[in-house]
Amino acid sequence: MSDRVKIFLLLLPAMSFIVLLFFGGLAIGLMRSFNYMPIIGLLEPNLEAYFKIFTSAEFLRSFLLTFHIAFTSTVISSVLAIGAALLLRRQFIGRAVVNFLFQLNLTVPHLVGAIGILYLFSQSGTFARLAAEWGMISRPRDFPVLVFDPYAIGIILQYVWKEIPFIGIIVLANMQSLGEDYESVARSLGATRWQAFRHVLLPLIFPGVLSASVIVFAFTFGAYEIPAILGANYPAALPVLAYRKYTDVDLAARPEAMAMAIVIAVLSAIMIYIYVRYTRRRIRS
Amino acid sequence: MTQVSLKELTKVYQGATEPSLDRLSLEIASGELAALLGPSGCGKTTTMKMIAGLLEPTSGDVQFGGRSILHEKPEKRGVVMVFQNYLLFPYMNVAENIGFGLKMRKVDKREISRRVGDMLSLVKLPDLGSRRPSELSGGQQQRVALARALIVEPDVLLLDEPLSNLDAHLRFEMRDLIRGLQQDLKITTIFVTHDQEEAVVLADKVALILDGRLKQYAGAEEFYNRPVDEATARFFGGQNFVQGHSDGSRFESALGALDLPEGAATGPGKLTFRPENVRIGHAEASRNRLTASLSDKLFMGTQTRLKLRVGGELIDVVANPNEVAGISNGDELKISLPPSSLWVLAN
Repeated sequence: MSDRVKIFLLLLPAMSFIVLLFFGGLAIGLMRSFNYMPIIGLLEPNLEAYFKIFTSAEFLRSFLLTFHIAFTSTVISSVLAIGAALLLRRQFIGRAVVNFLFQLNLTVPHLVGAIGILYLFSQSGTFARLAAEWGMISRPRDFPVLVFDPYAIGIILQYVWKEIPFIGIIVLANMQSLGEDYESVARSLGATRWQAFRHVLLPLIFPGVLSASVIVFAFTFGAYEIPAILGANYPAALPVLAYRKYTDVDLAARPEAMAMAIVIAVLSAIMIYIYVRYTRRRIRS
Repeated sequence: MTQVSLKELTKVYQGATEPSLDRLSLEIASGELAALLGPSGCGKTTTMKMIAGLLEPTSGDVQFGGRSILHEKPEKRGVVMVFQNYLLFPYMNVAENIGFGLKMRKVDKREISRRVGDMLSLVKLPDLGSRRPSELSGGQQQRVALARALIVEPDVLLLDEPLSNLDAHLRFEMRDLIRGLQQDLKITTIFVTHDQEEAVVLADKVALILDGRLKQYAGAEEFYNRPVDEATARFFGGQNFVQGHSDGSRFESALGALDLPEGAATGPGKLTFRPENVRIGHAEASRNRLTASLSDKLFMGTQTRLKLRVGGELIDVVANPNEVAGISNGDELKISLPPSSLWVLAN
C-alpha cells in the first residue's frame, strides 16, 4: 500500500465527520437559504430570503451592533492583554500568584461569566445596590444601564473579561521567547521606552497578537449565548436574530434564518480579512 | 571622545548569593579600544549592560569623562551596544535597520537616507540596503549591526563578542574592519570576548575578569610576560609553574638556581615562563643553562610541542620543528631559560 493511500485512509475517519457534519450542514443551510425546502413545498431555488434580510432595517441594525461588539471587544481585549503581558513578563515578588490569577478565568465557561456580569452590573445587581447603599445614587434603578443596553456594554464587558487572558497568554509566551534584547538594542540606539515598544516589540509580537485577536473577533461575531443573555431585545446581535427566525413557529421563516447564518459566516470571513489588512497596515505604518 | 571609568562596579542578581561582578574598577582612556576578557559567565556582558544602562548596578559607579551617568536613561548616555547575535530587526530591511537610531532621533528622512548610504559604503555593503536581514550572511549581518551602531555617532561603542559567531576567514576580515573603523573614528570602544587571541590582536588594553573579579588590566604583552597570578597566566596559555624560593635575583627550585630579571618578587613562589621562550641549545652567552630529557613530542605543523623533564619537573616547550627534528623520547638536550623570560608569582 502506497504512502498516499495510507495517509488517505488514516485521515478518512476524521475527514468523514468534517465533511458530513460541516459541509453537509453548510450545504443544507445553503439550500434552505435559497428557498429550497421540499418539506414545505419550496422547490424553486431563489434569492428571496437574501433579498428580504438585506432590505430589512432590523438586519442592518443587528449587523452594525454585532460588528461593534466584535470589534470593540477584540480591540479592548488586545490592548489590555498586551499591557498585562508587559507587566507579567517582569520579575517581581508574587509573580507566580498573579500569573495564576490572570489565567484563572480561562477555565470559567462563558455562560457562568455572563451570569456573573448580570449579578454585578445589572440595575438590580450588586454594584447598583452598593452604589445606592453608599448614597452615590438614590435607588438601584438609577444605576447606569450596562446590561441589556443598546450599546452592548455588558456583552463587551463579558468578552473582555474572558478574552484578556486568552490573548494575554499567547502574547506573553511570544514576548518571553523574544526576550528583552531587541528592546535593549533599540534603547541603546536612542529609542525611548515607548519608541522601543512601538517600533520594535509591537511589530515583533504582532503576528501573535493578530492570530489571537482574529480568533476572538471571529468568535465574538458569531457567538450566540452571551448576546442572548446580556443583550437588548432590539437590536439583537445577528446570531440571536438568526436563532429567533429559525425557531419561529412559521417554517416559512426558516430560509431567512439560514440566509442570515450564511451571511454571518461570509461576513465573519470578510471582517477578519479587513481586520487583518487594517491592523497590519496600521502597525507597519 | 570619552574617557570611561568604572568605580567599584558590583552586580548581585536577584536571588543570587554571589555577585556576578565584584567591585570592578577600570579606566579606559578616550579613543582607546579595550577588551573585557574572560570565560562565559564571568560578568563581562553584565558589565557592558551596566555601562549601556540596560542593567542597574547593585553598587559602584560608571563615569564618562569624570561625570557619573548612572542616573541617565540608556538612550541619553551616548553609548551603543552591538549584541553578540546582532539582533537586526527582522521586519526591516538593511537600510531601515541602519537608519533606526536616526529615525528615533527624528532626523529628516533625506538626511537619514544620505547617512545610511555613507554607512553602507563604510562597511562595504553598498548594494544591500533593500535586503532583509534573513537574506544576509553572518558576516554581512555583523557589518549591518556595526553600521547601525556607528551611524548615531556614539561616544562609547560596546561590542559583545563581535567575532564569536563568524567563520574563521570572516573573523580576520571583521577584526581588521573593527580595528580600522575604531582607529579612524577614534570612538572609545569596549568589547567583550572569551578568546584571548582576539583580545590581544584587537585591544589596546585587556581587562581579564575571572569569577566576577578583575584579575589584571594591562597591555597584551604584560599578560604573557608579567601575569599577576597562576590563573591569569594559565588563561593566556601559561603551562610552566615551578614551586621554589626567590631572593630577588635568583630562584631556587627543582630546576636548580636560575637568574631572575630585575624587580622579581621575593620569597616563596612559583616560577613561570612561556613554552615558546625556552631556547633549545646552549648559546655561548646564554644564562640559566639546563639539561633536559625528552618525555614527549608532538608535531603540530608550524611548531613542535615538547614535554621535557628537568630535575624531576615536567616543563612544556614550543620549538621550531627543524630544531628538534632528529630527537626522540629519552634523548637528552640542552636548553636555556633567558632571565628576561622568567617571572615569579609570589605565593
